[in-house]
Amino acid sequence: MAATPRNNDHLIDIRNLRVHFFTGAGIVKAVDGVDYDLKAGETLGLVGESGSGKTISSLALLRLIPRPGKILSGEIFFENENLLDKNEAQMTKIRGKRIAMIFQNPAYSLNPIYSIGDQLGEILMWHEKLGRQEASQRVAELLRLVGITDPANRLKQFPHELSGGMKQRVCVARALLCKPALVLADEPTTNLDVTIQAQILDLLQELKEKFHMSMVLVTHDMGVVARMADHITVMYAGRICETATARTIFREPMHPYTAALLETMPRVDQSYSGDKNSRLTVIKGRIPNLIEPPSGCRFHTRCPEAGEHCSRIMPETIAVSDGHMVSCLNRGSTGKETSRNGQSASDRGV
Amino acid sequence: MTTEANATVRSVKRKDLAGSKRLGMWALGWQRFKRNKTGMLGLFLVCVVFFVALFCPFIAPYDPSDQSAMLEFRSKSPPTWKNPLGTDRMGYDVASRLIYGAPTALIVGLGSMLVASVIGIILGGFSGYIGGMGDEFLMRFTEFFLVIPIFIVILVMVRIFGVVVIGTWAERIPYLNLSTIVVILGVFGWPPIARIARAEFLRLKEAEFVEAARCIGVGRMGIIFRHILPNAMPSLVVIIALGIGGSILLEAMISFLGFGDPKAISWGQLLYFNYEFLKIAPWASIAPGMAIFITVLGFNLLADGLTDAFNPRLKE
Repeated sequence: MAATPRNNDHLIDIRNLRVHFFTGAGIVKAVDGVDYDLKAGETLGLVGESGSGKTISSLALLRLIPRPGKILSGEIFFENENLLDKNEAQMTKIRGKRIAMIFQNPAYSLNPIYSIGDQLGEILMWHEKLGRQEASQRVAELLRLVGITDPANRLKQFPHELSGGMKQRVCVARALLCKPALVLADEPTTNLDVTIQAQILDLLQELKEKFHMSMVLVTHDMGVVARMADHITVMYAGRICETATARTIFREPMHPYTAALLETMPRVDQSYSGDKNSRLTVIKGRIPNLIEPPSGCRFHTRCPEAGEHCSRIMPETIAVSDGHMVSCLNRGSTGKETSRNGQSASDRGV
Repeated sequence: MTTEANATVRSVKRKDLAGSKRLGMWALGWQRFKRNKTGMLGLFLVCVVFFVALFCPFIAPYDPSDQSAMLEFRSKSPPTWKNPLGTDRMGYDVASRLIYGAPTALIVGLGSMLVASVIGIILGGFSGYIGGMGDEFLMRFTEFFLVIPIFIVILVMVRIFGVVVIGTWAERIPYLNLSTIVVILGVFGWPPIARIARAEFLRLKEAEFVEAARCIGVGRMGIIFRHILPNAMPSLVVIIALGIGGSILLEAMISFLGFGDPKAISWGQLLYFNYEFLKIAPWASIAPGMAIFITVLGFNLLADGLTDAFNPRLKE
């Protein structure tokens, strides 16, 4: 992958990102050689089971990997600058101003002791050097924009006085305060009930177009990405399985894991009951231990199509058509032999 | 009956909302605190002590060093209209000495806890924030301080310090002995505060809203002082209130053993001067004993009420 020249019109361009966690039990290879890119104004859906490294690979964009994690190697180009070359002071100027984040749990992501106006205003005072008066005016404007009625009074309220949907709207407003170029949304609707989910997703879509932002949407909900994403990247156990436009992923999934994920989605045009043939399919097995990930293709332990070579050879990503990348030996990927023992021995040496 | 109960519930809720508009977490805590009877009793007792301490010259019937009762052969006199709590063996008016003992007690309690809080919050907060090996080391250091029999160390240090300064300029510092006690109580009283601060920092640095603040671009200082420390304050306030009572008690013990400041008027010292005459003039010993009891009880009940107010889940 490193051989392909960098495309300058991409807003973000992540190359060979590896994030490992150095825990007492061993090195957890949470993200192990991930590439993805995103053009300005587009939405990328990062999809995968829990523990597939999707959240970590988006946090890497802010360089906020929780300890004991470390970004080992790779390049993260954002607006054509490598974020890994920046120092901490430069990063704090990017966080919240150019790249903003929306969290999974709105109930916990607001500071309980400051009023909404205070904690949102603080950001503007810090990033845009606005005065208190101006800042709270801008905050009120944004609160109105995210559909909060009576913003002037809401400014004085505290997080615990707002409902869950309202809090998430405040979080969306907080993310958009400085009109960032990129919004990272980490399961923004998982903790909300279904009607509120739909509202928040509509709101994100609307604001994204209004502000010409790009968005990385991290989720395990195929329904959400189907609705929001232009491109979808499917991750499994710290590696990317398949990247394509949303349409292609849903119409012609290439990778067995993508196909399996889509199978697990309940469909309205099918009836499910207790008997064997009409149950909702599940992917058998569990996501592997990332301290000693399976050799070769990481999905081979659960893959219905796995052959003998899958456990030996680590597949490399190939383009099957324009913009459709897949990494599966049965779909034409080639790769180098990896011996399981050799790999873990070198890791233990670290 | 039910409608009445509902009405109270509703009015309480409305009050909660109205209050929280002003102060958020602190106001909510106050709302809960107000409903706690023992906590309010504690607050009342503490307020009484503060009031007495602030206005002692106006409340006390005599000057604290007035021994004129001796001249009228009225030392060791039982309570009379002239001396509401009697006089002690040296002719002092017990009530006046008691009232002038209140500021000393509060200075000792607040002063030592101020020293202890500064050390404890800095060390504990730092320890919790950095985590890892540094945390391990600092916590072992804290435990080392916890296992020292501090009472004996304090007695030894007060005595040594009292002797060392003789003949030097330091001798002329007013209330030197009392200041020494305050500082030493603080220097040895920080471990519980450090442990709470560490636990809170450890919990809060991983809190989602702190993570969110980092993602917004808040720097390390902002994270610590704007986001972590204010959220750790409720737990710290509880342990500090408890510590104030504890240091007042310790100072009384030190003074009772005769290691106190001879120039300061302290309740422990009153006990020390009068316990030998317990049979002849019991009022002179019982009164300072009660004063210590009430003050320490007040701070402990206050701390208890604060715990319930800020961590309501512990009790429910």
